[in-house]
Amino acid sequence: MQFHAFDSLYLEQLRAGDFRTQEHFVSYFSELIRLKLGKRLHSRPEIEDARQETFTRVLSALHRDDGVRQPERLGAFVNSVCNNVLLEHYRSASQEAPSAEEEAAINIPDPALSAIDIIANREMQRKVRHILDELPEKDRRLIKEIFLDERDKDEVCRDLGVDREYLRVLLHRAKKSFKSLYLKKMRERALQE
Amino acid sequence: MEHNEAIQLMAAEKYLLDELSADVRDEFEEHLFGCHECALDMRTASVFLEQGKAALAEPEVAIVRDVTVRDKDKSRPGLFAWLRPAFAIPAMAALLLVIGYQNLVTLPHLTQALKKPQVLPATTVNLLTYGGTNAPPLVVHPGEGFLLNVIAPPDHQYPAYGVDLSGPAGAKESVAISASASSEDTWPIRFPEANRQGGKYKLTVHGITAAGQNVDVGGGASFQLEIQQ
Repeated sequence: MQFHAFDSLYLEQLRAGDFRTQEHFVSYFSELIRLKLGKRLHSRPEIEDARQETFTRVLSALHRDDGVRQPERLGAFVNSVCNNVLLEHYRSASQEAPSAEEEAAINIPDPALSAIDIIANREMQRKVRHILDELPEKDRRLIKEIFLDERDKDEVCRDLGVDREYLRVLLHRAKKSFKSLYLKKMRERALQE
Repeated sequence: MEHNEAIQLMAAEKYLLDELSADVRDEFEEHLFGCHECALDMRTASVFLEQGKAALAEPEVAIVRDVTVRDKDKSRPGLFAWLRPAFAIPAMAALLLVIGYQNLVTLPHLTQALKKPQVLPATTVNLLTYGGTNAPPLVVHPGEGFLLNVIAPPDHQYPAYGVDLSGPAGAKESVAISASASSEDTWPIRFPEANRQGGKYKLTVHGITAAGQNVDVGGGASFQLEIQQ
C-alpha cells in the first residue's frame, strides 16, 4: 500500500471510478475501519456490514456537489461517516438505502486475495513466525494469550509476572521489527505491479 | 490529537490493547484516519497481529520441527557439543587410561632411570679461549645429555653468573650459576637430555650484579658436538 496524497486529483480519479484508485482507497481505509468497528461491534457480519455501509456512503458523497470539499481531509471524512454509521447502528434506526442508480454506479472493489496475495501472505506469515520465534517464551505467550486466545489482559499479565507497560513495549517492538520487512514487501509488490 | 502526542502516549499500542478511554480513543481515531504515518503503523500492526495469530494458532509442531532440524544439523555442533554424554564419557575413559598408564608405568620407569648412577659424556670448556679449541668433539648419542666443566672467569667479581649455550641452529640453553657456586674455579654444568643437532656450540657468560643486572664479562668458548647413533 503505497502512500498516496489525498488531493484533488485523487478525488477526481475516485469519482471517475478509476479502478486502481478505488482499490487503493478501499485497501487504505478497510483495515482502519475494521479496527474501529471491531472495538464497538462484536460480530463479524455486523462489522462487515458497517464497513460496506461506510464505503458506500463515502463514495456516494464523492459524487455529490456538496460532498467532500477538502481533499486533504478525506481521512477525517471517512472517520466521521463511520461514526455516523455506528450511531445509526446503535439506535437501530433504518438507514436511507442508496438509490438503485447509485448502487449500480458504485462498484467497491472487493479486496479479494489473488494468487500473489496468497503467496505474499504465506511469506508474511513466515516472517512474522520468525519474529515471534526470536522472542523469549514469555513474550510469545503474552502475545498468543492476549491476541489469539483473547484472555483477559490483566490476568495474563499477572500470570506471567509483567505489567501493562511491559506489554505495550513488547507490542511496540514487535511491530517495529515487522514494519521494515512489511514495507520492503509492499515496495517489492508495488514494483511488480 | 497531534501526531507527537499520539507517539508519546503510545496511543497506537494502547488502541490495539483497548486501553484508551472512549474520548481519547475517538480523538486518536480522528488523528489516525488523517495521518498517513499512523495509518501505516496501524496497518502494519494489524497485519502483524493477524499473521501472528495464524502462526501461533499452529500447534507446537513448528517448534518441534525446529528442534528436530537443529538436532539433524550436525555441521554446526555448537560450542558445547563435546560435553554431551555420548562423546564426553568415552573421552574421559580414554583420558583416565592415559593418566593411569603414565602414573603406573612411565613415571616410575623414568624416576628409576634418574636414580641410577650415570656416566655422562663430558668436556672441559675454558672461557678464556675466545673461540674454537683443538679439543676433540664431544660425542653424544641422540637425545643424550652431557656435562660441561666450565673454567670460570678468574676474578670472580660478580656474585652470580649466567651461562648461555648457543647451538648451530641458534637455539639457546641458559643456566644461572648461584652465588655459592660462582666462587669455584670450575663449574660442572649438566645439560639434560634433548634432541640437539651436531655442530659447533658456543658458550658465553655474563655477570649478574647484586641488583640483578646482566653485565657482559667478555670471553667465550666453543666446542664441537657430535651426535653418534
